[in-house]
Amino acid sequence: MTDAADVYIEGVAIELSWADRTRSLTELIFTTVSKAVDDAGRGYEGIDSVVLAAHDLVDGRSLSSMVTAPAAGAYLRDEVRYSDDGAGAFAAAVARIEADEAERSIVAAWGRASEHDVEEFSRALFDRIFLAPLGLEELHVSALNAQKWRIDGGDASHVETAQARRATAAKANPRALHAGGKRSTPAYPLASDHLPLWADVVAAVVISKRPSGVRIKGLGLSSEPSWLGDRGVAKAPALKRAAQRALSEAQIGVDEIELFEIDGMTLYDEAIALEAIGLAATGEGMRSLAHDPRCNPSGGSMAGYGVPAMGLARIVEATLQLRGAAGPVQQGRPRTAMASGQSVTAAQTQTVVVLEAA
Amino acid sequence: MELVTIEGKWDFNYTYFAGESASRFFHELRENQRIMGTRCTKCEKLLVPARAYCDVCMSVTDEWVEVGPEGTLETFTIITTAFPGLPKPPIVMAYVTLDGADTALINLVHGMDLSDIEKAAQKLNALPRVRVEFIDEPKGRITDFSFKLI
Amino acid sequence: MSVAIIGVGQTGYRRSFADKSSRELIWEAARLALEDAGMGIDAIDMVISGVAPDALAGEASVERTAMLGFGKPFLRINTGGVTGSSAVFAGNTFIRARRARAVLVVGLERMGQATSSQQVFNTIFDPVYEKDFPLTTITMAALRASMLMRLYGYTAMHWAQIASRSYRNALRNPLAHIHRDVSPEDVLNSPLLAWPIHRYEACPMSEGACAMVLVDEGMVGDRIPAWIQGAASITDSYAMGDRIHRPGATLVDLLSLKLAAQRAYAEAGVDRPREQLRAVELYSAFSSAEAMAYPALGLCASEDGPRFVEAQFTDPTLPVINPSGGPQGANPVSVTAMVRIAEAALQVREMAGERQVADVERAVATGQGGATQFSTVCVLGKRQAA
Ligand SMILES: [Zn+2]
Repeated sequence: MTDAADVYIEGVAIELSWADRTRSLTELIFTTVSKAVDDAGRGYEGIDSVVLAAHDLVDGRSLSSMVTAPAAGAYLRDEVRYSDDGAGAFAAAVARIEADEAERSIVAAWGRASEHDVEEFSRALFDRIFLAPLGLEELHVSALNAQKWRIDGGDASHVETAQARRATAAKANPRALHAGGKRSTPAYPLASDHLPLWADVVAAVVISKRPSGVRIKGLGLSSEPSWLGDRGVAKAPALKRAAQRALSEAQIGVDEIELFEIDGMTLYDEAIALEAIGLAATGEGMRSLAHDPRCNPSGGSMAGYGVPAMGLARIVEATLQLRGAAGPVQQGRPRTAMASGQSVTAAQTQTVVVLEAA
Repeated sequence: MELVTIEGKWDFNYTYFAGESASRFFHELRENQRIMGTRCTKCEKLLVPARAYCDVCMSVTDEWVEVGPEGTLETFTIITTAFPGLPKPPIVMAYVTLDGADTALINLVHGMDLSDIEKAAQKLNALPRVRVEFIDEPKGRITDFSFKLI
Repeated sequence: MSVAIIGVGQTGYRRSFADKSSRELIWEAARLALEDAGMGIDAIDMVISGVAPDALAGEASVERTAMLGFGKPFLRINTGGVTGSSAVFAGNTFIRARRARAVLVVGLERMGQATSSQQVFNTIFDPVYEKDFPLTTITMAALRASMLMRLYGYTAMHWAQIASRSYRNALRNPLAHIHRDVSPEDVLNSPLLAWPIHRYEACPMSEGACAMVLVDEGMVGDRIPAWIQGAASITDSYAMGDRIHRPGATLVDLLSLKLAAQRAYAEAGVDRPREQLRAVELYSAFSSAEAMAYPALGLCASEDGPRFVEAQFTDPTLPVINPSGGPQGANPVSVTAMVRIAEAALQVREMAGERQVADVERAVATGQGGATQFSTVCVLGKRQAA
């Protein structure tokens, strides 16, 4: 859809931790943003835009960016904060450069699960009149999706293999959370291991027009209706459309993509997501997750999960893979990668990014 | 037909990590009754209250320096209306630059005659010198101290 | 690529809408904006929305119901007081990037659901160093107002005159929440909240929704456009105490607004703002905030501020400030900054009814949020920027 100038990822950084008492939230942000800027290599020169993803309720600051944005380099810059997933903020930052409103931008996203009560937060996301009185949490929606997937004939014979593969990957990933963290109580049919490992996550990237290692090839965004019952259960229609848009902009088929970092809260969400993006046939997502080395080599939600940073975390992991710098979880030398992030309530909005080694 | 309203409470629990810098700042309040700042390694400003980095320069701070205990009032307000959950009015709140600091610090000003608000305001408008006063049993919170006109 | 506002929809503002759910308010504003634009929802490529802070509505992501139409890209903004203008700017960005041709921006304020708004406002401050203080939006403004009085000779009467002018302008705006003829004396006689601020100087708490349709130049067709000639946004440091000794830009110099205005004016080709901007819609939650905006927007020098206030009542060549009544007339926090742009658009499009200012070739709208920290400036014009 766009014929604007190309946009590149110059620098990335990610840090997962748990209840690190030596650092405040703003200090965590400062550290990771500084690392991304260092990784890009030319300091703050030319950085004229800062795009953030952070949630007031997660941060426990009713207007988070007032306190946190300066830690991400916002001082006297054009800064905007999305109360959305990091991949959504990333898309907005790319659009700014394409619109010629900025030359070089920081994108940062964070969520510190050790500071707040994740279940309490999750319950607050639902409509006050119809859903909140039921005590619904996002992981309950994941459970409903998982069961629907099974009822519809999803091939569950690969659940254990897929889970084991996630665990192995998360263990091998040097950027994953290796100590601490927390899991919620699973709801049927989910098991404890299938759940996200709550973590303190900060991700940051620096993008610009100047050619460097990784180029943004396609972006797609989409949403689902606000009523849960109006959505396609276990079909992730927003992700499907977002992926279609990103692929068509990149002029590439999903089969040609060599690496996937797809956001899902649980094992089943990840499997369903692989079907939605068109990589796996309906009901076959778990098999891909179990056996396809291109899928979530980072370990997915097992590696640590902090809302709303995960979309940007996936972009960082995908970028490292394209650069051949992913360490022990490196999957050969992929030329193209797809990353996604979800937001609002129970994956109501989705952003998909297609990246290419430049 | 009756329009439905549903009662709710927006109440969330948090544990905020103050981090090493703020912890040391609070520790100094409690143990040594002194106000500390940190110096930016780039612009060399002494930032108060102490912090790990300077957001203007995006640089870390290193040196710890005591400031005050005296300083100059920069601006103020006198709160005359009660707000739920906050101390009882009238309250004087002010930004004060403690001697040696490059930034101003906010806290309450105690010990003023507030029977005539306008009169008190005129007195503060002269930007008087103030001194830091600690409470008897400091707890390592920002409320351990307040300012008092010299 | 030039972007135009061709649709504006506002529910009107009041203390609370007991008869409407959040989704109905959003729907109403969106419907009115689409109707004004002569478009259906299917022609919209993207929706951008925002509510901030969530706590005021007592519900997270309350604007999720703005995902109107099916499967459209949707993003939510949260930049505090400037959420509404940030949403408009984001729409502008996606169109200029050619990622969308038509964007619906929707804002909602549901603070009528909050039982204690100032308590919420206290939770916006730094929980480590500042949470134990009676820091509220009111006391933050008071700290600055007292400094302006000392530095430039503003008096309590100036604050009262500014507030009274806004109340009286709001009498001509049927959408306003407060319709009350308040004289400067009435302001001075109202209770003191935090010296030097009186109750009638403070903004009301309002609910309501506002929506706008933004399109690229090829889609304007026969609609009446308000062209976005310049849009800029700048963030300042959070720490107010750090700004007191900043050379050339202390606590009462709105450096972020000044820098944003410089950029937006440069884009729009505005070099004599006092003559070129006929209508000014300011996000000034208090009279002192308005006074700080004058020099930042190039309307007068800092030290001439008090005279500029007085001259507004006698000199018809000066720009008209807050013809809508501004935030004094209605302050639906999440949308207040969007309403400023909406009202400026109505002025440029000559659709402002009784509050229409004559000969508005260009109008400017500002946004101000955070700890007087986030500033936005939007210049709208009858014509595309040269
Ligand atoms: Zn510095």
